[in-house]
Amino acid sequence: MEFSWTTRQLEFREHVRKALDELLPRDWDEVYVPQSYASDAQVEFSRTFCAELAKRGLLVPHWPKKFGGNDADDWQHFILGEEMKAAGEPRGPQYMNVNWIGPVMMRYGSEEHQREHLQGIASGKVIWCQGFSEPGAGTDLASLKTRAENRGDHYVINGSKIWTSYARKADWCFLLARTGPGRKEISVFVLPMETPGISVTSFPGLIKDGHLNEVFFTDVKVPVTARLGQEGEGWKIITYALSYERVGVARYHAGLEALNLAIEQLKKENRYDDPVMQSRAGIIAAQFEAARLLTYRVVDQRVHKIPDTSEANLCRVASLEAVEDLMDFLVQYVPESLAGGNALLEDYYRINIPAGITGGTNELQLDLVARRGLAMPGRA
Amino acid sequence: MNFQLNDEQAALVSAVQEILQDHAELPQSARIKSCWFNANLQQLLTDNGYLNVGRELGPMEAALVSIEAAKMQALTEVAVSALVVPALFGDEVIEGPVAIVNGRNLTQAHRNLPIARTALVDLGDDVAVLPIQAETVEAVPSIFAYPYGRFKRAPDLSGARRLRCRSDLLRHWWRVALAAESAGAAQAAVEFTLNHVKQRHVFGHPIAAFQTVQHRMVKCHMVATALYFLSLRAAWSGLSYDANVAACYAQQNVKKLVVDLHQFTGAMGVTNEFALHLWTYRLRALQSEAGGVVEAALDVARDRWSVEQCTAPIAQAATGVK
Repeated sequence: MEFSWTTRQLEFREHVRKALDELLPRDWDEVYVPQSYASDAQVEFSRTFCAELAKRGLLVPHWPKKFGGNDADDWQHFILGEEMKAAGEPRGPQYMNVNWIGPVMMRYGSEEHQREHLQGIASGKVIWCQGFSEPGAGTDLASLKTRAENRGDHYVINGSKIWTSYARKADWCFLLARTGPGRKEISVFVLPMETPGISVTSFPGLIKDGHLNEVFFTDVKVPVTARLGQEGEGWKIITYALSYERVGVARYHAGLEALNLAIEQLKKENRYDDPVMQSRAGIIAAQFEAARLLTYRVVDQRVHKIPDTSEANLCRVASLEAVEDLMDFLVQYVPESLAGGNALLEDYYRINIPAGITGGTNELQLDLVARRGLAMPGRA
Repeated sequence: MNFQLNDEQAALVSAVQEILQDHAELPQSARIKSCWFNANLQQLLTDNGYLNVGRELGPMEAALVSIEAAKMQALTEVAVSALVVPALFGDEVIEGPVAIVNGRNLTQAHRNLPIARTALVDLGDDVAVLPIQAETVEAVPSIFAYPYGRFKRAPDLSGARRLRCRSDLLRHWWRVALAAESAGAAQAAVEFTLNHVKQRHVFGHPIAAFQTVQHRMVKCHMVATALYFLSLRAAWSGLSYDANVAACYAQQNVKKLVVDLHQFTGAMGVTNEFALHLWTYRLRALQSEAGGVVEAALDVARDRWSVEQCTAPIAQAATGVK
């Protein structure tokens, strides 16, 4: 066991930072970041930014060479994610493409899917949205009602999805739909957002613009080839996808960066002399460091091909505790930053309001660790 | 970055576990005590060189041994001897067990003083090294699961050996040691309680089947697991930031662990015979050491945000300190 980065990993991190310096516009922090990574402006920016990253071999380095990657290990992928998250995630929604949509295609997609989509994702120009949640099915995804009716050579999809980030700008949708009456008779479809019968409506909320969309599917006709994997295999596919999603975001890194920003502001205003505040900040930093190591352990397990039982869920729980403490700290010590005083901190706060909900609620993560990690019995 | 034990580390852990397991059973007479120091096991660990692994193999290995020893219900003094002593004395051998004494409260009760052969007195700047004669110390009853004792007469430090300007170093490795010891005790206490809640039935179901119990047990497990890696990172890197983070996390989070584990073991858990306290009340004792959570947290803040930050580039990258 040892905790250092290799020289190659350190060089890679520097390489990523240099690329960020060169590729981000001068007004990135002032103009783009405050709008949030789901805003139309950032989503559009990601098309040129990710294309440039791709040219430098920094979009999908961890993918196999045959799919446009460089066979880099999971650590490089994570270093990349840490630096991108700390910079305000200029990949916009495309972090999703490289983190889990691509790997899912590699595992469950047909050759045609792989040919059609992996090259597109690896080129950095394609925007996806995930059609999972519905008004009546969030964390309990198996109760979703959107239905795909098999009519031989095509399916007809009817229903609606909600909380669909990036839907306004997305080119493709990774959709979950019911294909049978059984609770888990669910299938995955990949379909262009311009398919007739799809419409998108946005609505306001506590988090920034671009995340809160509702997508309606009215008699949407798609060929059978739009189905990913076998009919009814959706649950297996989505379980695989979510295991990537849960550790795909370096929350500890972004959290520590936000904490640094808050301290910087307090220092600038000569308010960094309160030992109570300093000790609270120190405790929050320690919480994030704990989340960091639990997350690194998951990456290490992947590198060593050790099956993940519930370690990915555990790091989500640890990250959330630190995020909640930090949000409380921001409100208590730099409240003005959330009212026009610091756009970056306001963005951090707002984007984390649903941190315990997105990607499966915190309670679900706790359930999964209890069941799979600690072998606790089924619920009383 | 590699979170798997290498072959040598795995062999070391396995070897020390083998010795410890031979002493896993508490004698009946120890079951009514608030703590039980096993002098034979202490001697065995000393004779077999396990308290010396810090010198021979490194602090990481010393932390691994400390964690394993802390999982035992029987008490031994390993962490200070294996992690703090080599940092302060190099190759010089100091007679153990070793207690760390706060020089500002010399007349108060101190952890492990009744079993100690040497006390390291933290004087703020210097460290005084005090050989301990058993007859100069009186035992003090305590809820904490360590032997506590005070000096019958305040020791005269004027003639004691002094390590000049070593208090910071002492405190640094003290924090690593308390984090490692907390990690071992926390892991053992969680596992012990987990077995209990799976076996004990209430209202027709195992306690472990209730969701509120499950969620809180997961959080206890999370604290113990995070603490394991934080303490090993601190031992491995030798960085002030990592040591302060590990101690801060331990001292901040064991409170919920101690409260919940006793909650889930109910009235049984508050009896000495049940023996959960042998871990939980060690955790409680360690919570206030080396300045406690507030000072550890202030030091984390100092490391991250003061002008004088850690400067080793590899270490910065490993911990993310920027």
